[in-house]
Amino acid sequence: MKKLLLSLVLLLAAAVMPRPALAALSVDITQGNFQPLPIAIPDFTPTGATGTAGADIAGVVRADLERSGLFRPIDPKAFVDHTSTIDAVPNFANWRTINALGLTVGSVVAQPDGQLRVEFRLWDVSAGAQIWGQKFTTIPANWRRIAHMISDAIYEHVTGEKGYFDTRIVFISETGTAQKRVKRLAIMDQDGANPIFLSPGSYMVLTPRFNPTAQMIAFMSYIGGKPRVYLFDIESGRSEVLGNFPNMTFSPRFSPDGNRVVLTLETAGNSDIYMMDLRNREVQRLTTDPAIDTAPSFSPDGRQIVFESDRGGSQQIYVMNVDGSNQHRISFTPGANGTPVWSPRGDLIAFTKRAGAVFNIGVMRPDGSGERLISSGPRDEGPTWAPNGRVLMFGRALAGGQGSQIWSVDVTGRNERRVLTPGSASDPAWSPLIQ
Amino acid sequence: MSSSQSPARKKAAGAAVPRRLRPTTARGPRYGVALSALFHGMIFTAALFGFHRNFETPPDSHIVPVDLVTIAEQTNVQAQSPPAPPEAEKMDRPPPPAPEAPPEPEMIEAEPAPVPAMPQFEIAKEKPKPVDKPPPTKKAMQQDFNALLNKLTAPDKPVKTAKTGPRAIQGVGAGNQMTADLADALKSQIYRCWNRPEGYAADRANDLVVQFDLELSPDGRVIRADSASVSPGNSSRYNYAAGIAARNAIYSCQPYRLPPERYNQWREINPMTFDPRQNP
Repeated sequence: MKKLLLSLVLLLAAAVMPRPALAALSVDITQGNFQPLPIAIPDFTPTGATGTAGADIAGVVRADLERSGLFRPIDPKAFVDHTSTIDAVPNFANWRTINALGLTVGSVVAQPDGQLRVEFRLWDVSAGAQIWGQKFTTIPANWRRIAHMISDAIYEHVTGEKGYFDTRIVFISETGTAQKRVKRLAIMDQDGANPIFLSPGSYMVLTPRFNPTAQMIAFMSYIGGKPRVYLFDIESGRSEVLGNFPNMTFSPRFSPDGNRVVLTLETAGNSDIYMMDLRNREVQRLTTDPAIDTAPSFSPDGRQIVFESDRGGSQQIYVMNVDGSNQHRISFTPGANGTPVWSPRGDLIAFTKRAGAVFNIGVMRPDGSGERLISSGPRDEGPTWAPNGRVLMFGRALAGGQGSQIWSVDVTGRNERRVLTPGSASDPAWSPLIQ
Repeated sequence: MSSSQSPARKKAAGAAVPRRLRPTTARGPRYGVALSALFHGMIFTAALFGFHRNFETPPDSHIVPVDLVTIAEQTNVQAQSPPAPPEAEKMDRPPPPAPEAPPEPEMIEAEPAPVPAMPQFEIAKEKPKPVDKPPPTKKAMQQDFNALLNKLTAPDKPVKTAKTGPRAIQGVGAGNQMTADLADALKSQIYRCWNRPEGYAADRANDLVVQFDLELSPDGRVIRADSASVSPGNSSRYNYAAGIAARNAIYSCQPYRLPPERYNQWREINPMTFDPRQNP
């Protein structure tokens, strides 16, 4: 009886006494600190007669990622582990000692048929887990492209965005004096490698633009003394005049599906925008305003066109439907705004702003809101988007007629740096990813 | 006195009347008196020490104001919600199995890279000039200065902004006032390691939010950091990448400096949410 009473008393006391609830601490992190991701990329291990391909590929990958501004490849001299191979899980402790967060280990194997098999794995060092692995087989001459494709894969799996390293840049190469400038069509890899002239230099070339397959270029040239838009086929090297327009045509741009080209036709001092269907060569006039309408660029879904016009008294940016309807102004900030280009991912429009003697590259949303200036130089103009919509290139004219350079900048405004070109260069156009 | 007795009484007294016996009980006549005395004594004692207290005013009593209300036929007062069921306490994980040879990671076959079609054009003889490092722009200098300022102003010690409440009625680890200082301390340490996703299209914003379930050791090191975002089966490459960035931050910033005497409050952190949607 006494025991029963004692038990009841204890139970009652336990029920009445407050007890702490069991729950985990919750934390919301909203602020960060941007730092390029430290990544270790040892030279790829060679097997067989691969020459220097292993070191060359790793070197290109390191350079690609470093140039993006989002990665910080660690100097191989700092490595303490020289034994990591493609076929074994790395000793992550060795890589943590040099503060690597990413690790790419690769190999290059000579195949009996003379090709190279290139493999790589991307590791998350902090978690000790593989993020991605891939292998390629190609002829040895393609080693640089393979390196860019590996860079694209790393970039994509670390950032979520598609890469842009396996791409080319078409641009205008400028030589000669300021009084006798020679402007030639040229092309190179996005990292400045493999520069090639596409035109002889006997006639001036301006405003080159890639088609969506990166196999065709539209440009404006003064061939025969008459400024017109031409189409240039990279594979065959042949050019043709685009349309039989009576007057000067310029500022061409392909539609996202590659079937149409929008361009500007100048007639008696009035410039308007036209669209030509490349399949049947039918032409449609899109603007009729007596002001200067030019620099058209398609939205990525092909339904709208952004262009510049001075119909409101100053050069500003307008948007219209692809049939020319619903033309409306979207830029209202002070200064002149022109050369608009719609981002491949559709969220932004890049443009050139000129306020007095200051030139900027800026971006704004398609409705004109959220304008941000992401570069400032003596004469920054003519932006072009990387195919992932994350990076921009533009031309920068040097003061005093000292020529021009091509620069790139992240859409956040970070990582502004010069793009290597053979000599003076301007008017870049970024290709889509090579097919 | 005897002279005053009545003749009847005198007669009776002088007669040989048998003496009346005292009433008796089964125990005998002596116990009845004792029990009666005891019973009365108890009543008296109770009256003396107990009953009168019912008429005394309690020393700590006070007047409680009340409102008189008319009770309606229908009431909208609802029953109090039942208390939340107790959460199961996480048990220590079993010891890891003997290490085995890790499985070889999968390799994805890529299409053979095509040979780039290149026209036979004149190859530029000019070689890229060595790039002169451009002088730092004012913008770059400003960025550097801001970075320096960030380093200088980054808090090294946990920020204590909340006062602790009554321990007896607070939940352990819950996001309440008692643990707000722990959450702030963690934030102040981990933000420096988080490469906050930036530059993404606005329609990707929700993909960039990731959550982790963390377990920390008493010395502030990460025992585990689980998240569906870093699962290989995650179909959103943006969410996967955001998860990798968050996991890097979690591991890079360990060990976390938190009060050891409150380990039971920060042993498990769930969720730790990385949300880059707010503008910095």
